[in-house]
Amino acid sequence: MERKIEWEKNLSAAIARAQGENKPVLLDFHNPN
Amino acid sequence: MDAVTYPNLDVIQFIQGHVVPVRLPFDAKPEADDFNVKWTPTLIILDHGGGEHHRTTGFLAPEELLPMILLGIGKTHFEREAFTEAIMSLDTLLKDYPKSDSAPEAIYYGAVSRYKSTHKPQPLKEAYEKLQAEYPSSEWTKRAAPYKLL
Repeated sequence: MERKIEWEKNLSAAIARAQGENKPVLLDFHNPN
Repeated sequence: MDAVTYPNLDVIQFIQGHVVPVRLPFDAKPEADDFNVKWTPTLIILDHGGGEHHRTTGFLAPEELLPMILLGIGKTHFEREAFTEAIMSLDTLLKDYPKSDSAPEAIYYGAVSRYKSTHKPQPLKEAYEKLQAEYPSSEWTKRAAPYKLL
């Protein structure tokens, strides 16, 4: 089975999840084109 | 990053275990303006309150991305004055990725964390000596130069 990073697409949701999991956030700004 | 680094299984496992990953387009509003993003890829480590602690711009291979994240985690702990946790992250970086571009900065912040938690200057002097011996051309060796006088 293929594995890949499960990116959050919303920063607020990521920060809320990070608070719950007590982890930092890796924020990646990318060029999707 | 999509062709080489992010499909790497070690990278996938590490990111899942250590951080919450979020990916936004370079022109996402208001975030790109809030973080003053002008080029991609820009990678930023945030604490769980949203505060920025470390960033890089440009491609990173897997063997550079993972220590960069560990450095960001270590600096997050350091800047929140959680020095024991900072030392743990930075020591892991130096054990697992001693040849990475992030290693000299990890030596520097590890020493400062030890100093801040003990108020003893010896770790600062030892850091300079290690940087001078192993990373003589690093900017962090230059930044630690005053500690040779301790």
